[in-house]
Parts: sequence; C-alpha cells; structure tokens
Amino acid sequence: MGFSARDALSEFWASRISKLGVALIIVLFAISAYVLASYPLNFGTQYWNKPQYWADYPKGVPPTWTQSFSSVRRPEHMILTTDVSQKKTRGNMLIEFNINFDLRADMFPQFTSFSLYKLTFYDSPPIIHLTLTKPDGSKIEDLLVEAVPFPSSGQEPPYVKYAESPLRIYLPGSPAVRNSIADYLRTEYGSTLTPLEIRNMGIEQFMFGSPDESGAFTNVVEGTYNIRVQVEIFNEEDTVESVKFVVGGQAFGFMGTDTLGRDLSVGLLFGFPVALFIGFITSTLTTIVGSVLGIMSGYIGGRTDNLIQRISDILNNLPQLPILIFLVFILGQNIWNIIMVLVVFGWSGLTILIRSMVLQAKQEQFIEASIASGASARWIMARHIFPQVAPFVFTQMIFYTPAAILAEAALSFLGLGDPSLPTWGQILERGFQTGAIFLGYWWWIIPPGLLIVVTALCFVFIAQGLEPVVNPRLRRMR
Amino acid sequence: MRLGRSLLIKALSLLMVVIITLLLMNVILGATGFSDRMLSALVNEQVRVYRQGLLGTISNPDEITRIVAEYELTLRTAYGLDKPWIMRLPQMIWRVMTFDLGEAKTSQTFTGSTLIKDLIAERLPKSVLLITTSVGISALLGIVVGTKIATKPGSRLDRFFSNYSAFSYAIPTWWTGLLFIMIFAVFLRVLPPGGMYSAPPPTEPAARLMDLLWHAILPISTLVLALSGSWIYLTRTMVLNTAQQDFVNVARAKGLPENMVMRRYIIRVAAPPILTNVILGLAGSLGGAILTETVFGWPGMGLLYWNAIVTVDEGLIIALTFIYTLIYVIARMILEVLYVILDPRVEY
Repeated sequence: MGFSARDALSEFWASRISKLGVALIIVLFAISAYVLASYPLNFGTQYWNKPQYWADYPKGVPPTWTQSFSSVRRPEHMILTTDVSQKKTRGNMLIEFNINFDLRADMFPQFTSFSLYKLTFYDSPPIIHLTLTKPDGSKIEDLLVEAVPFPSSGQEPPYVKYAESPLRIYLPGSPAVRNSIADYLRTEYGSTLTPLEIRNMGIEQFMFGSPDESGAFTNVVEGTYNIRVQVEIFNEEDTVESVKFVVGGQAFGFMGTDTLGRDLSVGLLFGFPVALFIGFITSTLTTIVGSVLGIMSGYIGGRTDNLIQRISDILNNLPQLPILIFLVFILGQNIWNIIMVLVVFGWSGLTILIRSMVLQAKQEQFIEASIASGASARWIMARHIFPQVAPFVFTQMIFYTPAAILAEAALSFLGLGDPSLPTWGQILERGFQTGAIFLGYWWWIIPPGLLIVVTALCFVFIAQGLEPVVNPRLRRMR
Repeated sequence: MRLGRSLLIKALSLLMVVIITLLLMNVILGATGFSDRMLSALVNEQVRVYRQGLLGTISNPDEITRIVAEYELTLRTAYGLDKPWIMRLPQMIWRVMTFDLGEAKTSQTFTGSTLIKDLIAERLPKSVLLITTSVGISALLGIVVGTKIATKPGSRLDRFFSNYSAFSYAIPTWWTGLLFIMIFAVFLRVLPPGGMYSAPPPTEPAARLMDLLWHAILPISTLVLALSGSWIYLTRTMVLNTAQQDFVNVARAKGLPENMVMRRYIIRVAAPPILTNVILGLAGSLGGAILTETVFGWPGMGLLYWNAIVTVDEGLIIALTFIYTLIYVIARMILEVLYVILDPRVEY
C-alpha cells in the first residue's frame, strides 16, 4: 500500500490521454450547462418535433461555412421583418410596407414565404397586395393578392385577425402567385408558360432570374430587390402590426438543416446534456447495483451468493441488443425505461468481477479482527470491503458511461428512442430514414456521429488514464 | 467421459437460459397487458371477417349478433382470453418452443409466405453468413496482429493498435456503416450501397458469387472494423501476460526456436482466455450485425428486426428476440465445446 490519494492524482495526471480526456469532459459539461440554462426542457415536444416551428427555415441545406470551400455562391437565408408602414391613398386607402434586400449568389433562393401579423379592421376585410421589384427595375405587379376572409357573423368590430398565429403564405405553393408570374412572363417576355409549368420549373427562377439567349431563366439577377406590401383598407383606423418576408437560403447556420428545415446545430447542442445524463445516470445506477450485489455475493456467500451468481449467469448469457429492443418496444419508448433496461442488463459483469475481488479481500486479517470484535456484516462490507474495491468500481463507472451512451444511440438509431428528448442517435435515425446518405447530406450524418464518438472517447481516455492508478501491476510495468 | 459430462451440464444450463428467457419475456408480455391486447386484436379481426361472411347468408340481424357472439366466445376460449394471462403461460411457451410463431404483418418471403417461421428460415442463413465471416476475419486478425505486436510491446505499432482498439470501442458500428456507404457508394461510386445481390441478380453461379462478395465487402468491413480492435488488443494482453511466465523463459533457455516458443508455449496457453473473451464478445457481434444489416439493407434477420420495429409488428419482434437468444445460446455452446478442446483442464 502506501499509495496516497495525492500520488494517485499525480499518477493519473502524468498521462497525456488523461489530460485530453479531462479537457474534453470539461468542454462537454460547459456546453451542457449552457444548453440547460438556455433551452426549455420541453424543447423536444415544443420545438424540435414540431414541423410548423421550422416552416420558414430552408430544407436540407449545408452549413454556411461550406461557402468558403465552394466556387458556387449560395444565397444566404434572409428573414426580413418590418413594422414600419406608411399610409397612402391611391383610389383606396393603403398601408404600405417596404422591404429591401440584397441578393448576391449564383443559385436561386430555395423558396420565399410571406407572413403578416395582427391585423385589425373595422369595416370590410382588407386586401393584401405584394409587388416584387428586381434590381434591373422590372416589376412583378401583384405577385400575390390575398383577400382577408370576412369575419364570422356575430363578431363585433374591431375585428382582430392573425394575432395568435400569423397569416403565412408559402409562395411556391400559392396558385395566385403562379398565375401572376405567368401574366408577368407573357407581358414582359411574350412567354407562353402555363402556371403549372411554372410551378414545376420552380417559381424562384422567374422571381430572381433573367433569361439568357435561349430564353431559359438561368442567371441570377444580383442587386437590391424590393418587396412592397400594400394592404388595401376600407377604414382609416385599420392597422397591421408587422410583416415578414423570408428568402429561403441555400445554406444555413453552423450545421445546416435537415429536410424538415430543422436547424441541426440546435438539435446537436441539445444532445449534449441528454447524452451525459443518460451516460451518468445509467453508469451510476449500474455500478451501484453491480457493486452492492457483488460485495454481498462475495462476503455473505452461501445461498445469497448462489442466487446472485445464477441471475448474473443468465443475464450474461443473453444477447443484449435483441433483449433491449424487445423490452423498450414492450415497455414504451421512454427515457426512464431505456435507462432502467440498460441498468437491469448491465450490472451482471461487474458483479462477477467484484465478487472475486471481495473473496480475496475477505481473507485479510483486519477483517477477521473486525468480525471477532463483533462488527456487523453490513458494517464490515461498508467500512472495510467497499473501500478496497472502490477505486475499481469508480473506473468501471467511467468505463460504463460510454457503453450506455452508445447503447442509447443504437436504440435511437433503430427508431426506439424517446421522442420527447432529441438525441444524436435520433438525428442520425431521421437522416438514415430520409435517405440523407444518398442525397449526399453529409452535414446531417457526420456531425452527430462524431459527437457520439468524441463523447464516448473522452470517457474511454479517462478510464485508460485511471487504469494504472487502480491496477498497481500496470503501474510497475510502466 | 468427464468431458462429455461437463459439456452436457453446460448444454443443460444454456437450455435453462432459453427457457427462463422465454418465461420472462412472456411474463413481461402478460404483466404489461401486451399479450391481452395482441390476442384481442387477433380475435376482433377474425370476428369481423366472420361477421362479413354471415351478412350474405343470414338476413336476421339478431340472429347474426347471436351467432357472432357465440363465435367470439369460442375464439376467446381457444386463445385463452377468458383466463388471466398467467394461465396462458405454458401454452405460450410451448408454442414458441415448437416454432409456432404466427404470421408477420407486412414482411414476406420471396415465395410470398407471411409465416414468421418461413421468414426466419429464409433470412437466418444470410445473417449467419454475415456474422460468421466477420467474426472469423476479426478473430484471425486478432490472433495474427495481436501476437505480432505482443512481441514488441511499447513499439509504435503497439501504440497504434492500442489507440485503434479505444477508437473501435467508441465508434458506433452503424455510423461506420453510414460513412462507408457515403464514401464508397455515394461519393466514389466504387461499391454498391446495400443489398445482397444486384437487381436483377446474375443467374450464372460464378457471377452470382462474385456479385455476393461485391455486396458483402462494405458490411463485412464495417463489422470487422468494429470487432477486430478489441480482439487484437485482448490477444496482445493475454500473449504478453503469458510471455512473462517462467516456463516460457525456460523454453527459451532450452534453446527452442522463437516461433516454436510462440506457438507451443505462449499461444497454446493464452488461447483459452482469449476464447473466453471471444465468447463474451459474441453478444456485441450479434448486436453489431443487427445494426449493420439495417444500415446496408442486408436481407437477414437484423433487417427483418428493423422492419418489425418500423411497422410495429409485435409478433415478429417477439419471435425474433427469441430466435436471437437461441442463436446466441447455440453459438456459445459451440464455443464452449471449442474451449473444452483447447483447455482440457476445464471442469464445471
């Protein structure tokens, strides 16, 4: 013996991988703390798994930083809001909003959408007109004309609409937009494209492009665009709170988006605390159960020993993944079920190891002395036996943490994750199911997997660094 | 004689594992009300079909209601739904033990059978092919590379493989598979992204075999990458431990050639503990294979498992869990026999 805690620490700190592991784990904890402080706990159900929330995000586009490696300039994602309006009269009274934006890219924007917030009116419902002016001065008049429906009978003025959820129009899906683009093309270029053909070709090329020699709209018109929103009103007191125009980018954020438009960086960040939580809770519970049963098995012996050993024999003789699949499927896809099943099937290996260590420790003379002086079995197990196996138990706990994280990821990948808690495994499962690998959406596949690997590795490193501390034979060999 | 007895005891204890697993599975199914729900759904479906059939022949609605109620009652009795689930346990276990596994909801065999028994019979060989090949290659790599690096502990190669084993522990098998598909099938277009044969498969046997090998490269590499790391490292550690023993020094002192010392004195002694670890690692290989089949669309039982999860096919999941347990137990038994042959000192 003669090996103090301080020696152990310096022994641990001496190896390079321990330092790396500790540094990594500090980063993981810092990110998790940030996420826990800034995310709502119901993030999964309220935001991540709600397609409406992601409607105005571009679908399946790479991260913006990929731009620096590419010769094709992708348009950036623009969310343009304004509440600055002017009242005008031109025949009727108008509330006018003007939105200007710069487009400099070699690709057309992915989509456009228009939203209007909180409309209050007193007489007839207003009519909304959208006009797009290109940098070259050509105009698509009345690109969108939307008549606000009449208030249902029984309501009294002022009528308030779109207060809770805005009026949102996805321009590529609107028949009115197709028709006005067809009109625009006919008058401007004498084109005979039908609205249906325009939809199939994609309306963006006509909104943001100009024709080349062959008449195909392949060139992006670069420069400053103007969107004019005119709300035709029939009472002076009518108001509109604000409007929003989204130009869907072809690149987004730090990690890109999936095909639902979800910002992957947001989901990946949320995965940090979830992975650590699953890893730590599972490994702690597993080592507690494993060491308590192992100590009991080794120290008490007899029938207790027999029973515990038989049970762990059976558990050791089962293929883990099929049983996990079965149990999680039957008990329900809930994080606590997953953790419980991992614990129930995880303790047996540790118990067998601890038992053999306890059998050795039991022979020590000071334990015989304790028994002779009348100490209870429970006291001896807690005070004399446990401290001897504690360092080993601690290493095992560290070593089991990545196993739990990996097991959860595997279950999630098979579609058995807890839907209310997004994890890296679930993001990968969505990617796999959507065919992201065949679409070449590497940003959907590589980052979540890398995060799993890095998190698992950091615990493996620490466990490896702890090994020579716990196992004196290795210490001498070095 | 003694050898036979110890193997028999092992076989019996493994059989007990199968029976206890089945018992526990069924207890869980019963206690959670799952089996009641499943059987009721089955009865309701049959009753519905029966009622449809009667509608054409009998016009009196009261009469139909009466006959249908009677039929439902007989069905419920036949399925044991009139009794608590615990009374159905022996019957349920017997059905599974005799491979009376019911029908799958959506999956089919090539010949169109939906019987789970047929499905498993069709898929099992494909899974076994994948698993045994990968395990074989990994074990071979483990022994060859492991003993090689054990001769020079601390060398650069040794350090490389110790890191490699840490990485292969931390990298999810299925993610490696996804990366492989993306790199080799989507970007480089040199290997097929999945499946077992091209569509349509070549008819000529030699070409067919080549096609199979062509499709097997990625899934097998994925599994080997996941499995070989720990096996190389384990072999190395075991060989290293044995190499430090006195009798090895004695053998060297006698002037025996080095490769004979390695073969006869070191590997022979280190083999049983290595095999023990292979046995313990088997569960991992089976799990890895389920995920690998899913990723590569390899039409084995792992893919079937995934289909069952996606289509919420309870019967199929239960049957596959049982079959996997059975395969695992059988594989363990084979390894136990090997173990006894390798290490005659073993007694149970």
